[in-house]
Amino acid sequence: MNDYKNKRVPPDWCPGCGNFAQLSAITMALAELKIDPKDVVVASGIGCSSNMPEFLNTYGYHGLHGRLLPFASGVKWANSKLTVIAYGGDGDGFFEGTQHFFHTAKRNVDITYMVSDNQVFGLTTGQASPTAPIGLRTKTTPDGNIETPFNPITFALNAGATFVARGFSGDIKHLKELTVKAIKHKGFSFIDVLSPCVTWNKENSYEYFRPRVYHLEGNDVTNFDQAYKLGLEWGDKIPIGVFYEVERPTYEDLDEVLKDGPLIDQKIHQLTEDDLEEFA
Amino acid sequence: MKQNEVIIRVAGAAGDGVQSAGEILIRTFARSGLYATSYNYYQDIIRGGESWYQVRASDEKVKNQGDGLDVLIALNLDGVERHTNPEINEGGASPLGKDGVAIFDSSIKNYTKRETNYCPIPLSDIASKYSKNPLLKNTVGLGAAIAAIGIDFDILAGVIRDQFGKKGDIAEANVKAAKEGYDYYLANYKPLGKKFKYGKKKYMLSGGMSVALGAVAGGLKMYVAYPMTPASSALHFLAQHAKKYGVFVKIPEDEISAINTTIGANYAGVRAMTGSSGGGFALMTEAVGLAGMTEVPIVIYEAQRPGPSTGLPTKTEQGDLNQVLGASQGDFPRIVFAPGDIEEAFYITREAMNLAEKYQTPVFVMSDLYLAEHYDTLDGLDLNFKIDNGERAKDNEEDYKRYLITDTGISPRAIPGQAGLMHNEDSDEHNEYGDVVSDAITNPIDRIKMMQKRMRKLDTYIEEMPPTPTYKISDAEYVIIQWGSTKGAVEEAIDILRSKGIKIGAIEVKNVFPLNPDIGSLLKNRKKIFAVENNYSGQLSKYIAAQFLIKPELITKYDGEAFYPGALANEIEIRIGKKKEVIKE
Ligand SMILES: Cc1ncc(C[n+]2csc(CCOP(=O)(O)OP(=O)(O)O)c2C)c(N)n1
Ligand code: SF4
Repeated sequence: MNDYKNKRVPPDWCPGCGNFAQLSAITMALAELKIDPKDVVVASGIGCSSNMPEFLNTYGYHGLHGRLLPFASGVKWANSKLTVIAYGGDGDGFFEGTQHFFHTAKRNVDITYMVSDNQVFGLTTGQASPTAPIGLRTKTTPDGNIETPFNPITFALNAGATFVARGFSGDIKHLKELTVKAIKHKGFSFIDVLSPCVTWNKENSYEYFRPRVYHLEGNDVTNFDQAYKLGLEWGDKIPIGVFYEVERPTYEDLDEVLKDGPLIDQKIHQLTEDDLEEFA
Repeated sequence: MKQNEVIIRVAGAAGDGVQSAGEILIRTFARSGLYATSYNYYQDIIRGGESWYQVRASDEKVKNQGDGLDVLIALNLDGVERHTNPEINEGGASPLGKDGVAIFDSSIKNYTKRETNYCPIPLSDIASKYSKNPLLKNTVGLGAAIAAIGIDFDILAGVIRDQFGKKGDIAEANVKAAKEGYDYYLANYKPLGKKFKYGKKKYMLSGGMSVALGAVAGGLKMYVAYPMTPASSALHFLAQHAKKYGVFVKIPEDEISAINTTIGANYAGVRAMTGSSGGGFALMTEAVGLAGMTEVPIVIYEAQRPGPSTGLPTKTEQGDLNQVLGASQGDFPRIVFAPGDIEEAFYITREAMNLAEKYQTPVFVMSDLYLAEHYDTLDGLDLNFKIDNGERAKDNEEDYKRYLITDTGISPRAIPGQAGLMHNEDSDEHNEYGDVVSDAITNPIDRIKMMQKRMRKLDTYIEEMPPTPTYKISDAEYVIIQWGSTKGAVEEAIDILRSKGIKIGAIEVKNVFPLNPDIGSLLKNRKKIFAVENNYSGQLSKYIAAQFLIKPELITKYDGEAFYPGALANEIEIRIGKKKEVIKE
């Protein structure tokens, strides 16, 4: 398992940060699935959580704030043999990256998107993020947040994601199982991870979530309406697990060019005099 | 007017089929073995706006739309009036003179009689015999025009058949209608008496198509772009040829996505490109620096149109140079090209694909609406080319450093999937391994070394740069600095001025960034240096002036139309004091 961790660079997160659980979940899942590190690309945006690729011994790309999904799509479309994991924060993905999230899900690109959802901006020292609950006091909401929180689960469902799940950093084993399922899923898989920021969000802590989260069991994951209803559940009881999983052709399956196999293996078209005849 | 040259204009309202008629014409010339070029004047209106399409053909190379007009096909009264009226000068276009012929529908009557040959033809009546489609009257007009010019009718018939290919009956109806127009003209009016030496059939491409084709020749496998005029012609061309050329083409949600997707594909080892125009490109700028920092190859096609903001969407200008040179924060190497014509657009874009991969940095191909959208003829293209993937690391290389400090600034790349070369590429400053050193206290030395390594790529590139292209420069007292699509008009203006004994030449700034150091010596000891630019402030001129400590005299045009050679030559004559300015009351 150590094979998946970068031996030179230890994680720089605050002790106790929820991101550690996700690092473990990713490395354990890759080990369980026996995916060669050389065939994995972890793409991220910008934020504390987005530092993830630096701590991994896979191919990693730490790109721009909110732009990890287009980058990851480009990687997947270039070489569909790769396992592509996009990993970012809630500010990153649900503010600047919102439309990429929507459209990547809608296209059903075969990548796994994991969000470290701490309801604040970590790296920029604690501003309210799109998932901040009403009333949350932060540097930018000193009187308490007044904006309705973004619901990643119902948003992903609306967008057409074919795998929608929620995990919790306080439950690594469960999170690893979700990660395995998400990577195995053919199509766009999304995991929103409730992941406490121990430095800037004192309210939504492990202690806050632990008594509230419960494992989804026995729900019909192919039933959209049920998944949507469960996605709205938030309060004293917060479901974690797989909300929705269905099979739908991926973008790569349907595209005229991509369906002929990984683009990287396809021959480059050599222009000939015959080709020029079209322009005569 | 030259005997071996013809300038013909189709004029009408948007929706009248002006453009498709024009394209049939230029293809007819090309197939008959003449060189031709086109000029598209249109407005940002889907229906109703006035538009015209001009084709200039000759048995010698034609470099631009040219001065003068021989044949007009007017599809409405406004078209007749506008193009015979010397008072109206659309972007510099000349009206039809006394030697010219105006072909239009006989039902158009109340036009102002001016000194020209009016040739009314029952276009609509003839057309209605073959189809209810009113656009058929254009075809009748085309037949008549071909008769006036003296081109073999069968060539026009062939082009029409190809154009309507799949719809057999429609094609035949059009051919018959064109033939009646042809016969009617010869029965009633005099041909122009043109004499051409017909050569071999020519190929025909627009600048946008040429950029796209050049990219394909350079190994393109993915084109991701959001539509914006005038970059869209490349997007459309590639989408239509996706299957044939094995190029994956995608419109994503926005330009930010387009460029980041393109970077992802290049990172994963596939040649990918994106394209847009000013406003769309503005959205890409953050990612341009990302490619520069992470050293991922990328080719960006930037097709200019007049700004600021959405500006004049259907007009031409060269106003985005500052934007391209300044795109993204910080310093990082970039290479910027400006092809001057359709042929250069092909070869430069193809080369750009190699250079991006060799230097692992953003490479720009800049064009403008005029270059992107006008068709030009070619004798052929040299298709020999070697794709060069640059330096790649070998699998399982020991202690692999993605950003190895080298003398050339180029570090061997590893592609995901390669064994034993796993590493992280980072938008933050990093050391040779790719590990982040963004905290200056951690390692300021790494930062300095890495900046210098990246920037060294430019010195390496300057060494391999071909000499600056020039035109009639050896004995020139006056030199024009020119970039991009002004090339044709500048060269023709030089020919006009030379015929009057003025010693003038031009340098073409094809390598816009980095500049070729040889420009300095090319400009030495001249009486005067002019900079001809299709923008307000002389963006290239200012930047060259700063680099070479010279002071070019600006000749600019920013009305949305391209330069006309006659007007340009005239302006230069005035500027060098050979001619007095004529002030119109
Ligand atoms: C375009 C852009 N805008 C702003 C920033 C500054 N910035 C860096 S991280 C960040 C927010 C991070 O919050 P989140 O995505 O929730 O991640 P976390 O740090 O909480 O893991 C911002 C705004 C940036 N890097 N780029
Ligand atoms: S600031 Fe918060 S999110 Fe960032 S590392 Fe520390 S605990 Fe984690």
